Amino acid sequence: MDILAIVQANLLTPIVLFFLLGVIAARIKSDLRIPDAISSMLPIYLLAAIGLHGGIEMRRTGFEAMILPMVVAIALSLALTLYHYQILRRLGRFNIFDSYALASTYGAVGAVTFSVGLSFLQSQNIQSEGYMAAILAVLEPVSFIMSIFLVNSAVSKNLKKKEEQVAISDKKMIKGQASAVALPPSALASEGNGVEKSGARKDSMRAVLHETLAGKSIVILLGSIMIGYAIGEHGFGSIKIVFEDLFFGALVIFLLEMGVVAGQRLGDIRKVGPFVVVFAIVIPTLNGTIGVAVSTYLGLSIGGAVMFGTLMGSASFIAAPAIFRTAMPKANPSLYLTSALGITFPYIVIALLPVLLILSTFLHGGEGPATGLFG
Amino acid sequence: MRLYNVKLLTVTCEIMAQNLVKDILKKHRITGYTSYEVGGMGDSGLRGQGLPEEKNVKIEAVMTEESAERVVEEISRTMFSDYAIIFYLGDVRVARMEKFT
Repeated sequence: MDILAIVQANLLTPIVLFFLLGVIAARIKSDLRIPDAISSMLPIYLLAAIGLHGGIEMRRTGFEAMILPMVVAIALSLALTLYHYQILRRLGRFNIFDSYALASTYGAVGAVTFSVGLSFLQSQNIQSEGYMAAILAVLEPVSFIMSIFLVNSAVSKNLKKKEEQVAISDKKMIKGQASAVALPPSALASEGNGVEKSGARKDSMRAVLHETLAGKSIVILLGSIMIGYAIGEHGFGSIKIVFEDLFFGALVIFLLEMGVVAGQRLGDIRKVGPFVVVFAIVIPTLNGTIGVAVSTYLGLSIGGAVMFGTLMGSASFIAAPAIFRTAMPKANPSLYLTSALGITFPYIVIALLPVLLILSTFLHGGEGPATGLFG
Repeated sequence: MRLYNVKLLTVTCEIMAQNLVKDILKKHRITGYTSYEVGGMGDSGLRGQGLPEEKNVKIEAVMTEESAERVVEEISRTMFSDYAIIFYLGDVRVARMEKFT
């Protein structure tokens, strides 16, 4: 198998080239931008197309095949989030909010990265299992919900401790120790604030669940899977021109936009520090490799294993900010956005996808369809 | 024509925080506001570029002075530490006082 050919074929695709064009445009401070309405519409369109295809495929193959991969994917996603957290908290010395936010950004999946993965496989003439779209939909909220739940319970535990301390210091004050008043006013204010928040914690959890499950990406993705399942191949014929033929063209336009946004963030990479930069490269590589290996073991095809690895390796940057700014406002958004969008996404698009394909082909016995392409 | 003195509260904040501001307004029985998406420059750098989640929003609401004090107190206490947000209060005059009490 010609590894160089795969790398070359992946680098000289419209997707990568337009992405790089966007990055360059941002760096030279060009006013090139995709209009707002279109850049908001494109992710919805891409998810609808992915969902429809997934639904149609699932109708053809049935549900049984996808149950095991889906359960494994959920378990893996949760396990990955937890080990990211340990790395970030212990080695990176990040605070609990930033650690959980980053951990679940990388435990979650990126729908845009998934689309790029599909187009990469398409360019190599490799098929993947249709139920991957369903796994994408189910995985999307899992990691976020767990992180937010964990961070909430950690914060409320901490709060109880602080309340006890405050109670003790109150008693001391009654005994006549004036020094107990030395708490800075800001500490008192945030204390009161925290107590109020813990009272409203159930409400906030409900808000988070609503934010994640009723968020636009989940609704459109799950909805399109169901519609795809309902209409089948036959019903798809009438909308095929929009949802199949236009898909990669639309993805290219979206990647141009992503390139601009990522390019604007390149300057922030210095601010996030070397630890995050290494994390944003090493973790996706490791997770992607785990994903490919596990799914190969589960019996997925070469393309399916690449998509599974892409799901595990990708980081979320469309859903994450919306969820974290609501549920975990103390986490620094420039940290998880810059690393996911500015570092990990370009890295996966340009370098990791071909690596995963080579790995998957190798694990499948080295004689995959890729050989036929280049042999 | 008789005009009444009231306060105009203008809040400019990151778009992801707008619901918190609107909830605070609602909690203090401010029933109306005007909001629009904006861009600009501040402590958080250039806003309104990049992802749609990184835009700013400007919320304007007219209210009595007493309400305004309660609203800005709650905004300062609950939102200043975590969000990109500023507000300012101005004096304005309205014809129909009953709409703002």
